[in-house]
Amino acid sequence: MSTLNVSNISDGTDTVETGYVVNGSAKAHVNFDGTSIAIRTGSLNIASVTDNSTGKYTPNFTSSFNDAPSATGGMTIANYPGVMRVNPSTGTCQVFTATSYSGAAYIDGTDTSIQCCGDLA
Amino acid sequence: MTHGHLWDRLAEAKSHLAPVQSKYRVLFEDPTQPDEPAKVLVPDPNWMAAALAGNVLPPIDTYLRDRDVPDGQPKEHPYAKPIGPMTEEEAIEYLIQKDIPPQVWRDYKGNRSVMKIVPVELIPSDRSFRNAWKINQEMELAA
Repeated sequence: MSTLNVSNISDGTDTVETGYVVNGSAKAHVNFDGTSIAIRTGSLNIASVTDNSTGKYTPNFTSSFNDAPSATGGMTIANYPGVMRVNPSTGTCQVFTATSYSGAAYIDGTDTSIQCCGDLA
Repeated sequence: MTHGHLWDRLAEAKSHLAPVQSKYRVLFEDPTQPDEPAKVLVPDPNWMAAALAGNVLPPIDTYLRDRDVPDGQPKEHPYAKPIGPMTEEEAIEYLIQKDIPPQVWRDYKGNRSVMKIVPVELIPSDRSFRNAWKINQEMELAA
């Protein structure tokens, strides 16, 4: 594998420091079916996903974060209006999909994805 | 020759290895949470491809030592020398130690089965009673 060492990247008009690209990209992402826990093949830096119960999942990272990821995001598609909560830590990420934040009934989303940004250990 | 950071090896492996969907799942119950239903660990297809190919993943003992390293402190597993190819069964054992709490696979002394490696076909597709799943304790005994 060869390494490109450059300080800036430009498209001819706009220029950005390489660090923004390297540090700004998602360091882990995964998409899975919450009803069968079939992990789709485009994932990165995910060793496994644990199906804890209805609407509760734990993606486990292969390469841990230094601290809890500084930014996480996610989306789920279910047959109901739903919300998603992500509790990241250095080695794992707790994902909850539910019908609402308060008094939530957890539900399985058919198309659940998360991505995590931050500094790796 | 340097072997670089684990994340770089994962990204490189993903670019040229075909994902491998495992034929196994790991069912487990956490003995410290007896009211929780059984959990199902599903290997990631890109991780499995890297495990089978070799020269990507670090030794499992680096992860075990890193459990004791506080957040924000340097960890061993991202920079450890990668190990060679594993069989799918060895990869599942590796994953159990990495992603399942030690109180399930190492410290548990009870006589109830709290962990089983099963073919994916044995995981129920009907999730109507997902929150009541427990590991079947019946087992075939030799005559």
